[in-house]
Amino acid sequence: MMDKPTTTLKAIESTPPLADLDRICDMQEGRMAGKIFWDSEIYEQELEKIFARCWLFVAHESQIPEPGDYVATTLGEDEVLVVRQKDRSIKVLINACPHRGNKVCFAEAGNARGFICNYHGWAFGPDGALRGMHESGVYEQSGFDKSRQGLREARVDSYKGLVFATFAADAPSLADYLGPMTWYLDVILDNDEGGTEFIGGCIRSTYECNWKIAAENFVGDILHAGWTHDSAAQAMLGGSVTKVSELPESYQVNWNGHGYEFARDLVGNAAVLGESAINKYLHLHSPKAAERLGEFRARMLGAVSSFTVFPNFSFLPGQNTVRVWQPRGPNKIELYTWVIVNRNAPAEVKEKWRRGAMMTFSPTGVFEMDDGENWEYCTKTSRGKVTRYQDLYVGLGMNSRLSDTELPGNVFRGQLNEANARAYYQRWKDLLQARTWAEVPDRNGKLD
Amino acid sequence: MNTLELVTLEEERAVQAFLLREARLLDEDRWDDWLLMVSERIHYWMPGIENRRREDARGGFNAEHMALFDDGYRELQRRVARFKQPSAWAEDPPTRNVHLISNIEVYAGENPGEYRAFSCFVNVRSRGLDEQYQIAGRREDVLCREGDGLKLLSRRILIPNATLPCKNINTFL
Ligand code: FES
Ligand SMILES: [Fe+2]
Repeated sequence: MMDKPTTTLKAIESTPPLADLDRICDMQEGRMAGKIFWDSEIYEQELEKIFARCWLFVAHESQIPEPGDYVATTLGEDEVLVVRQKDRSIKVLINACPHRGNKVCFAEAGNARGFICNYHGWAFGPDGALRGMHESGVYEQSGFDKSRQGLREARVDSYKGLVFATFAADAPSLADYLGPMTWYLDVILDNDEGGTEFIGGCIRSTYECNWKIAAENFVGDILHAGWTHDSAAQAMLGGSVTKVSELPESYQVNWNGHGYEFARDLVGNAAVLGESAINKYLHLHSPKAAERLGEFRARMLGAVSSFTVFPNFSFLPGQNTVRVWQPRGPNKIELYTWVIVNRNAPAEVKEKWRRGAMMTFSPTGVFEMDDGENWEYCTKTSRGKVTRYQDLYVGLGMNSRLSDTELPGNVFRGQLNEANARAYYQRWKDLLQARTWAEVPDRNGKLD
Repeated sequence: MNTLELVTLEEERAVQAFLLREARLLDEDRWDDWLLMVSERIHYWMPGIENRRREDARGGFNAEHMALFDDGYRELQRRVARFKQPSAWAEDPPTRNVHLISNIEVYAGENPGEYRAFSCFVNVRSRGLDEQYQIAGRREDVLCREGDGLKLLSRRILIPNATLPCKNINTFL
């Protein structure tokens, strides 16, 4: 798919960075201030310098197979439509009318020949072009130029089924943005020749938490699982969560704020679904996956692992839950949750994953219930004037970097580590500091 | 089933009593007693609500799509098992529940000894000092006779919300 630069978007003015960024976040020292989860000035900076700037996940291609198919989502708090075009390419259009700004599409998904604004009847094609309107004669009399009044477009690109968009004309290409992390993404996206698809539907829920605490949890916080999720593991398996410190081999890897943490136990994550059909599928499929990915990655398919693509797109291999932590203010998110499966997996296995993912990681999921409360109170305690400036410890696993490894990215020994969290917050800080993409420093190879 | 066939007053009263008792057991955290009211053949389903246009044939929910509950007996047992774990940190102090049940309509079921019941609910939960969540919805149940009493054979729960206004549903509806 073409990575086409924006033509109709007006650039937004870059604001100066916050004066106290070092106080808020110092990853060399492994500390940050509680304020990072609460402050509304920080949040405004994030909307501008992260969400209006980074490549953000918008859809899986399987959600919009046919021309005219669309799904609605948001880039930060900006509402957009992801629309399959006649030529099979995908456009991401701002879901706001260029006349007075009304929303032009109110459905979350569907198939449309175009979008007609409810207010004064401006009618747009699936490509966003303004085609006509109610009382079009009066516009003609005033020399109106339809060609300049289409729905605004974001840049779009995709990686193996995952569609991303960005508002930033100066952002690197998606390939450069993801960098070597695609090697790890392929564990999920490319372990089978048929690729992947989303199961239908999206579950949305609302948390009173900062978006970063959730994204950080998936970037590299398996540490919490053995403690937080004991009750769910007891319920699903009749025993505790895998003791991560006892796994023979595990890593954290990161690159430009993206992070994957993983063991190579093949079914550690998947096992908590308590579905033998899924474990069996993974065992049978692993040798086939090895032909595509090699032995090393074939052992990661459903292993104890999690991933965040900076800033807010996460998933859990094995449980196959995919999620976006949509920012809705400094202390609120909407969580969009989907289930991803191999397109060629047997129907009964897909069905087990559909149910299993929801049973464990959804608003009714026995695992997710204990996460929610943690994230909300990590956020809420930071509202105190004093708490806001107290240090939070992010120092676990300093000096655990591996230099004698062939693995791509910045590689760290052991999953019980805060290396990925530090890299995540460092990237966050670098983006908040930089006025343009060109100013964002390259820290790869330089992380401790 | 196209026609709704009324049942006797005694039968209607028995079904109403069942639904109200069920709500009370949940409010009292008596999950094991609640499970005893559920048939082992249960299908307990709460589909995710999709905000689609009227002309969209896919409709507002779909059996093959994602759901909040899509459970058999084993899944309900697992959920109850978590509630009862001492390490269910987010249940201690406990969540306090009120389940209000109304708009009860009782009709004959498809098979002898079965009833079809419609009802509405409002579930109010509070946690900690100040958290409060309210979910309202409609239910369509099938109750059956098993052994000496009524059991819940299937339940479909529809809420109006396409986005859940809270972080979880840590109860049954
Ligand atoms: S706001 Fe859309 S036509 Fe006027
Ligand atoms: Fe968790």
